[in-house]
Amino acid sequence: MDSKTTIRQYLTELLVRKGDRRPFDDDTSLLLGGRLDSIDTVEIILFLEKEFEIEIARDGFQRTQLDTVNMIDAFVRTAHLAAQ
Amino acid sequence: MSVQSSVLTGGMPLRPTRALPFRLIPRIETYPGVVSLVQTIPGKAALLAVFGLLYAWTNPSALPLVLCLALLTWMPFRRHQLITVSTVIFAVVVPWTRLAQPVYNIGLITGVLALAAFLIWRASARPRSWYGRKPATILLAGFATWIAAISLVPWHIFRLAPIWDFTIIFGSYIWFIAYVLVDRQAEPVNRLGLEIGFLRPFWGALPTPLPNGTGYLRQIEARNAEELAITQLKGLKLLSWAALITLFSRVFVYFFHVYLRIPYFATTLAMSAHGAPAPWFVCWASLMLHFLENVMAGAILGHRIIACCRMAGFDALRNMYRPLSSVTVAEFFNRYYFYYKELLVTFFFFPIFLRQSPRFPKLRLGISIFAAACFGNVFFHFIRELLYIHDFGLWNAIKTFQVFFFYCVVLATAITISRLRKRKPLPAGFFRGTLRPALSVCLFYCLLSIFALTDRQYPLVEHLRFLGHLFFMN
Repeated sequence: MDSKTTIRQYLTELLVRKGDRRPFDDDTSLLLGGRLDSIDTVEIILFLEKEFEIEIARDGFQRTQLDTVNMIDAFVRTAHLAAQ
Repeated sequence: MSVQSSVLTGGMPLRPTRALPFRLIPRIETYPGVVSLVQTIPGKAALLAVFGLLYAWTNPSALPLVLCLALLTWMPFRRHQLITVSTVIFAVVVPWTRLAQPVYNIGLITGVLALAAFLIWRASARPRSWYGRKPATILLAGFATWIAAISLVPWHIFRLAPIWDFTIIFGSYIWFIAYVLVDRQAEPVNRLGLEIGFLRPFWGALPTPLPNGTGYLRQIEARNAEELAITQLKGLKLLSWAALITLFSRVFVYFFHVYLRIPYFATTLAMSAHGAPAPWFVCWASLMLHFLENVMAGAILGHRIIACCRMAGFDALRNMYRPLSSVTVAEFFNRYYFYYKELLVTFFFFPIFLRQSPRFPKLRLGISIFAAACFGNVFFHFIRELLYIHDFGLWNAIKTFQVFFFYCVVLATAITISRLRKRKPLPAGFFRGTLRPALSVCLFYCLLSIFALTDRQYPLVEHLRFLGHLFFMN
């Protein structure tokens, strides 16, 4: 399973836990669109750290970098590249 | 009619696909005919007129605001510049006649804006420096140190009044400046002059920036005529909600406090503190009314500011969204005052969270929640009330802040437990699945509101005594 599918599955679970069953695509804004909040961002960070073994950058990290599936995927790829 | 961007509609198609339930205020932004009309000159004029009338209903001095919104409606391509001009007008021109010493006050505001510009420029010019890497943290820590320093100086001897006045005005801008500093670390950034225009923007200035920061505003602004029309219609809808809640709250206050003569919470608390408590059921009634009136007042204020922000072309989320339907303590905190919670998360939660080891996730989460809901909450309210420090000194200000400190400790503990405990799926059915948990959460916050006061009128023991009266304890 590729990283984008894993991320999409996790976000679907997170939204369903909040009672949100509306569909979303890879470019749907979840944070700025108000479907996920800053506390959900924490859940996403915990998930990314565990699932992809990445360390979230301490300086310059912006929550809006985790707004859509595509943005999270790009964030994970960049973090992996930075770790190499 | 095309399908709108997900930012505007949350991924939902613009046109309703099935019959919607009855709505007190219809979703006018989903009616293609209305959206098209609002893009025409008569439609824009009608929208501004209705918005202005609704706004003026509760605020007679609505004309300058409506004029600024009219400029933004007709020249959206100059939005950022017009916001800067409007903000300057609201900071300098509008209050001119209301101020006792207008030249002195405007001079102080100009000085504060100049200092803000310097701080922002310095962080941008040297992003790798010590200050450039943590500008907001250094700003907040520096301001706290500055307050401590000037509060120890006998200001009346050295005639330090202008320094205190400058500090108080700077304090009212500090969270706006902090957001600009944080947002300038993300691309793309605005020009410096435009960032200054978003410091206490003209659509409403509370100590908490509504909405949070220019980075967020950049991403939610309408990019074409159709998006602007939809955003403005959502603004009108939100202002209509504010007007309805205002009307309801006036009837509510009249019925309970005038007709039924249930005393205000301040009165029952004072009676309790003076040794003559009201009967327990009166205490309960006044407390519940106090809680509900706070919710309504928060909704009215937040809705009005966000409505104006939407009219300016930014599709901001509501500040308050159905808090009474929350089924957990953490959810209520999120829904009650969204942008304040975001502020605490941005400046207190994340900086702590990202610096802790992922090996202990629960401890990491608990410490971060305490940093935000307890320390951040106390810090925000403490530096908001600089006049008290000025009048009574730093030590007295700290000592008399015990009630609000207690409130923050209990709140942070409850949110931590709410977030960390393994949550079972809610049982099915409206009563057990929705009503019962929602009532429990409301009851918790209702009781907690006994301590959510920063007026320092009574010590903590008197607030605890009032709590005791509710449960027949003296």
